[in-house]
Amino acid sequence: MKEDQEQRILIFRFLLIFVFALYSIRLFSMQILSGDMYRTRAADISRRTYIIPTQRGEIYDRNFTSPLVINRDSFAVSITPAEVPQGRMEEIIGSISLILGISSEEITSRLPNQYFQLYQPVEIAANVPFSAIAALAERKDLLPGVTWQSKSVRNYVNVGSLSHILGYVGDITRDELTTLYNVGYQQGDVIGKAGIERQYDELLRGREGWETRTVDVRGRRIAGSENVVRVPPEMGKNLVLTIDTKLQTLAEKALGNRIGSALVLRPSTGEILAMVSYPWYDPNIFADRLSSDYLALVDDPNKPLINRAIQSSYPPASTFKIIMTTAILSENAFSPDQTVICRGFINYGNRDWNCHVRLGHGRLNLHYAMAQSCDIYYWTVGRDYLGAENIISYSREYGYGEITGIDLPGEIAGFLPTPQWKERRFHERWVAGDTMNLSIGQGYTLVTPLQMANMISMTVNNGKIYRPYVLKEVRDPVTNAIESVTVPEIIHESQIKPSVFETVRQDMRGVITEGTVQYSPLNMRSVQIAGKTGTAEVGLQDRWHSWFAAYAPYNSVNPEEQIVVAVIVEAANEWEWWATYASAIIFQGHFANQEYEDAVRTLGLQYLIPIQGRRE
Amino acid sequence: MKFSDILKIDYLLLLPVLILIVLGILFIYSSGITSSGVQVSNEYIKQIIWAVCGLVAAVILALMNYRKLYNFSVYIYLLSMLPLVYTLVFGKLIYNAARWLRFGFIGIQMSEFVKISVIILLARFLADTDHNRGVFSRFIISCLITAVPMCVVLLQPDLGTALVYIAILLTMIYMAGVSMRYVIFMISCIALTGFLLVLPLWQTYIARISIPFLSILTNSKLLLLAVSFFLVIGLISLFGYIKYKKFYFYWLLYILSIIIFSLCTSFAARLVLKNYQIMRLIVFLDPNVDPRGAGWNIIQSVTAIGAGGFTGRGFLQGTQSHYRFLPEQSTDFIFSIFSEETGLLGGISVFALFFFICHRLILTMKTSADPFGKYICAGLAGMYGFHFIVNVGMTIGIMPITGLPLLFMSYGGSSILTSMIGIGLALSIYIRRYNR
Repeated sequence: MKEDQEQRILIFRFLLIFVFALYSIRLFSMQILSGDMYRTRAADISRRTYIIPTQRGEIYDRNFTSPLVINRDSFAVSITPAEVPQGRMEEIIGSISLILGISSEEITSRLPNQYFQLYQPVEIAANVPFSAIAALAERKDLLPGVTWQSKSVRNYVNVGSLSHILGYVGDITRDELTTLYNVGYQQGDVIGKAGIERQYDELLRGREGWETRTVDVRGRRIAGSENVVRVPPEMGKNLVLTIDTKLQTLAEKALGNRIGSALVLRPSTGEILAMVSYPWYDPNIFADRLSSDYLALVDDPNKPLINRAIQSSYPPASTFKIIMTTAILSENAFSPDQTVICRGFINYGNRDWNCHVRLGHGRLNLHYAMAQSCDIYYWTVGRDYLGAENIISYSREYGYGEITGIDLPGEIAGFLPTPQWKERRFHERWVAGDTMNLSIGQGYTLVTPLQMANMISMTVNNGKIYRPYVLKEVRDPVTNAIESVTVPEIIHESQIKPSVFETVRQDMRGVITEGTVQYSPLNMRSVQIAGKTGTAEVGLQDRWHSWFAAYAPYNSVNPEEQIVVAVIVEAANEWEWWATYASAIIFQGHFANQEYEDAVRTLGLQYLIPIQGRRE
Repeated sequence: MKFSDILKIDYLLLLPVLILIVLGILFIYSSGITSSGVQVSNEYIKQIIWAVCGLVAAVILALMNYRKLYNFSVYIYLLSMLPLVYTLVFGKLIYNAARWLRFGFIGIQMSEFVKISVIILLARFLADTDHNRGVFSRFIISCLITAVPMCVVLLQPDLGTALVYIAILLTMIYMAGVSMRYVIFMISCIALTGFLLVLPLWQTYIARISIPFLSILTNSKLLLLAVSFFLVIGLISLFGYIKYKKFYFYWLLYILSIIIFSLCTSFAARLVLKNYQIMRLIVFLDPNVDPRGAGWNIIQSVTAIGAGGFTGRGFLQGTQSHYRFLPEQSTDFIFSIFSEETGLLGGISVFALFFFICHRLILTMKTSADPFGKYICAGLAGMYGFHFIVNVGMTIGIMPITGLPLLFMSYGGSSILTSMIGIGLALSIYIRRYNR
């Protein structure tokens, strides 16, 4: 029995030895005897795939007339390192650098040593003009391994302030590649870096096609259709934006060279019709990453790359009185007919709190307090009748402290303070003075211009806020057939009674007809506006952030024609109370169908006397 | 558990294992690098963590007395089957196969661990029945012990792992002295089933001729006819054998049952196997049938290995692998990238290491103090050997693609943990070879 087992173990061993010997022989025959054949085949495979480039989609404004972004033909030069004969790399880099006018160090930096075995073209220069390519072509025989292909460059046509919406593109970075590799991005890909280009990169980029050809050792194609596999490229989709170029230009000119932002949207859908953030930039600069223009842009202290409409937040100041009014009415905290006396100041917590009208407004009810933007009224009512919790809860209803979900990258949420937050952050109790600051939109509260516009939308829609969006529809690049249309989507639906909003709207109309802007161009003939001004303290003596947020036409039966305008002019500018004028120009231009110049003339703004002192 | 035992560990077994694991990690790292030198995967870090866990598990097991497992073997078997059945019912679908169970972020392939528990239970059963080796019931019960998890795994569907169970069973009953008649019976059944399964595919996809006779295999009515024909002859010979005790009746019955069994199982397999598995079987015969589909893996793997030459292309210098021509290069095709970058020298070294591991296991088996330890070693040798043969055979194009990992080298937490548990058992057996 023991012997039997010994024998079986012996047989088992022989079996193992047999298999291992067989495998070793097979490995030997593959790697040594037929090694050359496989090496050639491996090289063949590396060489035989050609990329067929795709076209990035174009971007249009809502009228779908002419594209805002097109692709300009240009060339990229590549080196396939493994095809450069040994020892000649430096020489070849030298001649290319002469022809293209790029330093050879720069080329070398793109070809690290570990690339030298690569059978894949490595891009060494982009945005190369045709003349340089012609020069390269003449010397093609002297430059083995050097290839070029047309690589289109994004051309943003007269975009002006649209740059923040459109964004720009650039080469994919290492970090982006590590996260996006599995989605199909590759080294050397162009990828959207900001704005629409980034948000909808997947739609815009399309998909590269490729063609594989079986070639022999000398690189000759082997004939026969079975040796060619072609996967055609998929063109990137064309995008149609909700932006109305005419309105955008109007808003851009109305804001002028003032740091700030102007936003126009349609409250009944959430479509962004215009979105200006000054200063803006020229997205074409990014085609060449090393240019001085690019560096200047990045270092600019005014931060032109920030889209202030969604990436900057400011204290809402008196515009916050819209929320206060809603809260007072909805909570029945203080009868709208009851009055408060404004003597120009109140003393609270051992200090004087001054109203912006030093002499005082006198007796005011809610409607007049809103129209005159009386701080005393809101301080008193906010502190004694409403309380911080209520105010904060209504601010949440209006979407404060929360991103709107617009389809642009990098949106910030602003900030809405709470007593708990203050305790955590400063280890101090929330005091009545904080509630007073909160009541007039000063203190810690911060909102983006887009959130400001949404606040107006909510009063217009009786409590509904639609998600703001910029992409109107996606179109097929060849047939231009509409592939998908963005459907408006409600992000906030408040339970506050419609009658409350109706009163709020009346009060907002009061601001124009009998309030702080009664004598400004906003009280215009072409359309009835309802809105609210805001003048935010930022710690400067003679300058303030200037807000104006409004909608028109007031009391329209057709929600389609209504628009919301929100403008902020930062305190960094000369004090001109400009948000109100900019809004006036936008409303005038839009509803009277006028260009900027005509609108200014109609409103008489060309004779504008410089504003002295603080206005509300 | 005595810590001084750590000195008595069979380092000649542990060392090659550790070398293989380190090589594996290096080339898992390599597989995570694209053609332009960008690291896109952190699998190698996970593998290092798993390898350390596995090593700790192996050492702890080595210090424990494996004989304690004897009493628990049934419970271990049943317990390890629970998650297997659970995976079958609830397992998340990964690569079309419901063989993964997710615990948090770690996917665990439960069928891996069941291999060990099957080995332990089978070893106990075979040790218990050691006094009466040749009987038929010993063979049948061994088959049943293996068949239960195997069928569950087959339903998952994981053909490769199911075949590992057969390999384990075969090595163990072979070493345990089960009559060669039964061993050969089983081998013939499997071989004939495989042959009959591939034959019609060969006919349609490669030979592209129509052999009317072969429709017996695919047409259920004809099959039924053929099976009943063989059954009748079988019954007659059974009758003849009982009546006349002539041995040629016995052998006739033997052969007939092989044929009937294979006919039925190959037909059933054709129904159960998924399309991609069938395609894998065909492309093994001729990868050019579907060069861009299922044959792609084989062509790319063979090209990569062949291009390696004598010394290979150097670490991180392979072209096939870094261009991502090779699929699943950190798991199933780790040997291809290894062989492309280290050439014949590296390949033969890995062969030698695996051979040496099997050799040490056989040695441990021979010196083991009791049959329980002996049969565990036999099962382990079968498992490691079979994994090696199938995985490497697949990468060098002489075995069909089954998705079995190369133990110790392939990326995968459960596979490395299982292999190390096995090594731990073998070490424990080796340490206690003198004390009964």
